[in-house]
Amino acid sequence: MSLRLSDIRRCFQGVIPSMIATADSRGLPNIIYVSQVYFVDDRHVALSCQFFTKTRRNLDENPVACAEVMDPVTLQAYRLRLKFLRSERSGPLFDTMSLRIDAIASHTGMAGVFRLIAADVFEVTCAEPVAGFLTEAPADMPEGASLDGMRTEMRGLQWVSERINRATGLESLLCGVLEALEEYFNFSHTAILLHDEANRRLTTIASRGYGESGVGAEVGIGEGLIGTVARERRLLRLTSLEADLRYGRAIRREAADGKRALQAEIPLPGLPDAQSVLAIPLTIGDRLVGVIAAEDRDPMRFSEWHEAYLDILANQIALGIDRMMERCDENADSAPTEAQAQTSAISPLPAGPAEDRRVRRLTYYRNDDAIFVDDEYLIRNIPARILWKVLGESTRTGRTEFSNRELRVDASLGLPPVKDNLESRLILLRQRLQEKCPDLQIVSTGRGRFALRAGATVEMTER
Amino acid sequence: MWVVLLDRMDPTRLRRCLEPGLSILVGTADSAGTPSCCRGIAIQSMDEFETITVFLPVATSHDTIHNVATTKQLAVVATHPRDNFATQFKGTTLDARLAREDESAFVRQRLDALADVLDRIGVPRRLTHRVAHWPAFALTMRVEQVFDQTPGPKAGSRVR
Repeated sequence: MSLRLSDIRRCFQGVIPSMIATADSRGLPNIIYVSQVYFVDDRHVALSCQFFTKTRRNLDENPVACAEVMDPVTLQAYRLRLKFLRSERSGPLFDTMSLRIDAIASHTGMAGVFRLIAADVFEVTCAEPVAGFLTEAPADMPEGASLDGMRTEMRGLQWVSERINRATGLESLLCGVLEALEEYFNFSHTAILLHDEANRRLTTIASRGYGESGVGAEVGIGEGLIGTVARERRLLRLTSLEADLRYGRAIRREAADGKRALQAEIPLPGLPDAQSVLAIPLTIGDRLVGVIAAEDRDPMRFSEWHEAYLDILANQIALGIDRMMERCDENADSAPTEAQAQTSAISPLPAGPAEDRRVRRLTYYRNDDAIFVDDEYLIRNIPARILWKVLGESTRTGRTEFSNRELRVDASLGLPPVKDNLESRLILLRQRLQEKCPDLQIVSTGRGRFALRAGATVEMTER
Repeated sequence: MWVVLLDRMDPTRLRRCLEPGLSILVGTADSAGTPSCCRGIAIQSMDEFETITVFLPVATSHDTIHNVATTKQLAVVATHPRDNFATQFKGTTLDARLAREDESAFVRQRLDALADVLDRIGVPRRLTHRVAHWPAFALTMRVEQVFDQTPGPKAGSRVR
C-alpha cells in the first residue's frame, strides 16, 4: 500500500460522496455512490449497507471492490482496492455508523425506514492517489490540532473548569460554559438542552448565537439529531450536513409513495443553513442530564480533535449541572416554608402612573397546558403551571415572594418526586418572560426563593 | 417481459440524464473480475438511449480503457448532485476512441455546469475547475439495461 489511510482521513468525513464498483461472478460491473466510506484503521474501511442490494450480492459472489474517495479540501481523488471481509450487525463499529444514519433518518422523518442493515468491513489492499486527477498539485493543508491550538484548548479546559467550580447558580454555569466555547473554540452557535425525565423531552435552557428563538425549544428523546444523541447517549459529529440531508430527503421522496405514514420533518433548531453539527450527551453514569450542541456553516468545522476534547468538557459540564441541581435541592430544604413567606401586593417594576401601565393578557389553555401572552406563545407544561400558580396566588392574596419548597409540595404542578429540575424550569420561565413579556419578571431573592415583579397590569384568562 | 419493462420507463428519467450538471461514474472489471472505477465528465445520446457516449479524462481512465478493451462491459451512473436522482446504464462497449477537438467545447461546458451545481452545495467552483477533463476518451456503449439508482427502497430496480 503506497499511503496510510490515516493520512487521508478528510476523505472519510462524508463531505463528498464516494463511489464503489463491484462485479458479479461473470465479471459484469456495477457502480454506485455511497454517502460515506468509514475509516476503521489504517488497513480497513467500512461501508454502510442500507439499500445497495446489487453491490451486496456482487460482494457475496466476488468479494473484491474498488472505491474512489475525495479530499473535500483539495478535491484530490484516491483509489482504494478493497477485499470484502465481513458484515457486522452489532458492536461498536455498527453502533457508530448506525447513530449517524439514525440521526439523519429521524431528522428527515424516516426513522425506521432508512436504517443501517450492516457495516460491511473491507481490507484495503492498496490505496493511492489518482494520478493526473487534478491539473495542478493540491497545496499541503495542515490537519488536526496544532500545538498552539492545543495550548489554547488546554487554557479553555482550565477556564471552563473554573467557571463550573465558581458558578453560583445553574444559569451562570450554563452561560459561562457557552461563553468559554465561543472564546476558546470559536463555537458561536451553541445550545444546552436539559433532559426532563417526566415527559422524556429535552428543553433548550441556554443558547448562544441564535437570538431569541433558541431557549424553550423542545425535542423528544429519539427525535432528530439531538434527540437521537440523547437516546443513544453517544456523541455525534456530522460534517456536510446538507449532503446527508439531501441523501435522506431523496430516500424520503422515493419512499413517499409507500404505505408507511411519514412523520413531519423536524426543523433543525438554530442555523437554517448549518453544514456541520457536533452534539454531545451530558451524562452521569447511565443517567442523561442533557445534550450540548454546536453548529456551524462550515462543513469541516468540527474535527476529531474537537470531538475528543469536548467529550471531556461534557463530563465536567454534566457533573457541574448535576451538582447545581443537588445544591438547589439542599437549598430548598433550608428555605422558609410557605407560612414564613413574605406577603405583599404584586410589586410593580419602576413605572409611570397606574393609568399609563400596559395591560398584558395572559391566557392559560388547559388542554394544551400552555400560556399565551397577548396571543403569542409563552410557555407550557410545568413552567406554565408554576407561572399560573404564582400569578393566581399573587392576585388572590397579594403575595409576591415564593419559595421553591412550596412549589415542590404542590402536587398540582406535577413535579417529579426526585430530580425535579425545578431550578432549570425557573430559569426557562425567567428567560421566556424576558423575551416575550418583559413586564413580568421572576427575580431570585435568595436561596430557594424568588419574587414576582410586574410592570404591567396582568389580565388572566383560563380556557 | 420486454414490453412490461419499457412501460415502466419514465421519459423524465432519461431526459434528466442528458441535462447539464451531472456527476458521472464509470465502472468496469478486468478479465479476472476485478472491478475498477473512474469519474466521467460528460454523457450524450443521439438515439433515445439505444446507445450512450461517455467522455472520460485520458489522465485518469487507463484502467477503464484497458478493461473495456478486453471485456467490453461497462456500467455508467448519472447523478444529479442536488437531489441524488440517479440512473445506471449497463451494456457493451461499441467504440472506444479519443474525443475529437470539436467535442471539447461540449465536454468543457458539462464540467462548468457540474462546477456550478457543486458550488451551490458547498464545493467551491475553483476546486472543480482543477479536475482534469481534456484530452478525453469517448466510449460508446449499447444500452442493454437501465436501473433506478436514486437512494431509497427502489434503488437498483430495473427500469429497462
